[in-house]
Amino acid sequence: MDRRDALRLFSATAALPAVPDLLVLGRRLHERLTARPALRTLDPHQNATVTAVADRILPATDTPGATAARVNEFIDLLLTEWTPQEARARFLAGLADLDARARAAFGKAFVDGGEADQVRLLIVLEDEALRLKEQPGPHPEPFFRTIKYLTMYGYYTSEIGAKQELHFEIIPGRYVPCTPLSAASGPPGGD
Amino acid sequence: MAKVYDAIVVGSGMTGGWAAKELTEHGLDTLVLEAGRPITPAVDYVEHVPVWEKRFRGLRDRNAQLANQPIQRECYACDEWSSKFFVDDHENPYTTEPDAPFLWLRGRQVGGRSIMWGRQVYRWSDLDFEANLRDGIAVDWPIRYADLAPWYDHVEEFVGISGEPLGLPQLPDGKFLPPMELNCVERVVREALAKRFGRERVLTIGRVAILTQNHLGRAACHYCGNCERGCVTLSYFNSINSTLPAAQRTGKLTLRPYSVARSLMYDKKRTRVTGVRVVDAQTKHDIEFHGRIIFLCASTLESARLLLLSATPELPNGLANSSGQVGRNLMDHVMGGGARGRIDGNLDKTDTGRRPNGIYVPRFRNLRDGPKSPFLRGYGYQGGGDREHWGRGVDQAGFGADFKRAMRDPGPWHFSLYGFGECLPNHDNYAELDKTKTDAYGIPVLKINCRFGENERAILTDASIAAAEMLAAAGAHDINPFVENNPPGKTIHEMGTARMGRDPKTSVLNGWNQAWDIPNLFITDGACMASSACQNPSITYMALTARAADHAVELLKRREL
Repeated sequence: MDRRDALRLFSATAALPAVPDLLVLGRRLHERLTARPALRTLDPHQNATVTAVADRILPATDTPGATAARVNEFIDLLLTEWTPQEARARFLAGLADLDARARAAFGKAFVDGGEADQVRLLIVLEDEALRLKEQPGPHPEPFFRTIKYLTMYGYYTSEIGAKQELHFEIIPGRYVPCTPLSAASGPPGGD
Repeated sequence: MAKVYDAIVVGSGMTGGWAAKELTEHGLDTLVLEAGRPITPAVDYVEHVPVWEKRFRGLRDRNAQLANQPIQRECYACDEWSSKFFVDDHENPYTTEPDAPFLWLRGRQVGGRSIMWGRQVYRWSDLDFEANLRDGIAVDWPIRYADLAPWYDHVEEFVGISGEPLGLPQLPDGKFLPPMELNCVERVVREALAKRFGRERVLTIGRVAILTQNHLGRAACHYCGNCERGCVTLSYFNSINSTLPAAQRTGKLTLRPYSVARSLMYDKKRTRVTGVRVVDAQTKHDIEFHGRIIFLCASTLESARLLLLSATPELPNGLANSSGQVGRNLMDHVMGGGARGRIDGNLDKTDTGRRPNGIYVPRFRNLRDGPKSPFLRGYGYQGGGDREHWGRGVDQAGFGADFKRAMRDPGPWHFSLYGFGECLPNHDNYAELDKTKTDAYGIPVLKINCRFGENERAILTDASIAAAEMLAAAGAHDINPFVENNPPGKTIHEMGTARMGRDPKTSVLNGWNQAWDIPNLFITDGACMASSACQNPSITYMALTARAADHAVELLKRREL
């Protein structure tokens, strides 16, 4: 990064709605400086939000989680090259709404909340999404379902998800029905 | 003077490969013309490219498909790996009436659609060959099972079919390699059906052109599960893996890719075809090739199109069309009546390996001696048992560490029955030339007029009800019967546009797949079919091709062509 880029970054940051918390400002700056240049739809804050939500959905446990599998990059790719415009706009509006609700609930953007705050808010969103499914008639997919689906799809079709989590073998070499569950390789990636 | 080949075969797919093999092995100097590009297995086969190496991880390049393959994308196999084996819809257009969609799903390359085919293999029986005669529909087949049985044997021994013999008259057994195994839940359903329906409704493992042991230099299946993407071990049958190499070994084969057939050349005095005019797909130049006999193996619709394109001032309706039946009687199996349900138990069991095959339930309606249904003909089921994977979690409550742990294991078992039904031949279902439109090579395209009728709809409804009944008998829960509304073409079993028959006035081909009007012209792809039965058709096309090739060689020897 050269000096001109750094200046542009600072001025862009300064143009954001005033956030009095210097730590938060510093974090934003850090997001911008460390964001992978591959991202083309998500801005650094949106990317940090997607990364945080994905990690709450599929965290690192005894196996790596959504962050290690770079689910955020997959979501950015889909938003850029795959998702219809309307759905992309809905997704980005969903991210903004998540922040608005985070501010209402715990006074900060989603990414700046603690784990318990974030989980509590996501449970609220999930309940709403599941309730909507019970209701008749077509309705746009709720944001929580969209990001959960994209997170799961991106994770289980990543090399980490397929190999380390599901023990996927490219060439099983044999077909053995009725094997004990523990001995088997996982289901294929993809759908 | 231009070279005259003993034989020209148009098409290098399922039947073109067989024509090439049989004709060259009989010593004929044979030219195979293929419209598409060559395929190099080491480069083009992609079955072991894992999902994480694909840009869209199996979700396909949506925008590219919408732009270039808006029709081909309707096929399950036209995915991020195999879409290259399907045509560009803009280069290869066709037209339909707006209210009568037809999906023409096509592959143009050496090997044709044999690369992506479903590999299911079921013989016909006389229940099928006698059906038109019995019902007074269309025309009677000029052959019976006994005519084709030795040719089924012949092709099956080469192809390598794994399957279980059942001794059922409506689904003759073949030359089988050991069958693949049923999984836990499929065994449960098989036993329950046997208890409830006896020999009436039988569940067996799919009969499939995939090797369960090494066979004629090709290796047994390694269960990667992605046959539609090719197979570097040559474990499933396609013409690149099997028939074309056999033809090559004779030293008699000339295979010419990028050769788009434009028309057949015809000598009206001798009533013989003399060759094929092609457009070279790379240079766009016209070239003529000459041959003593011609086999059309270009696919049901392309072979009919070629006959129509070959019209002359004396034969304005096209070649081999004195009956007016070229392009008529277009059929495709009707599919998608069935049911799915959950089968409890066996939660500690799963499968190792990905079996590229499911189960089959042979036709049980309107058998020769059984009760009669309120529709004609019948259907069979494909399907099988499977466990839910992580995808179930999207609509379940939960996220986080415990949720992730729960998704690691598969969910409950389910069992599906998915019906494939017979389509009746119908004169009003037809393809004709649309002279207002041309393809990328300037060749007039087809307009396809095809609709399923009452009988096809009744078959799907019955298939759905009977499937639910069978799942109930197997103790399934949450049984979900369904009737899909798929347009014709989607099953990719199109056939019938140059039918065989007993009378030159009402059929295009005689009992040897030989054009009534033009003795040195043979059509052995799906165009030749006088009815559709409900079985997957490829093995019947292969057997008919081998039989016709043998006959053509006999006629050549007797100097009758």
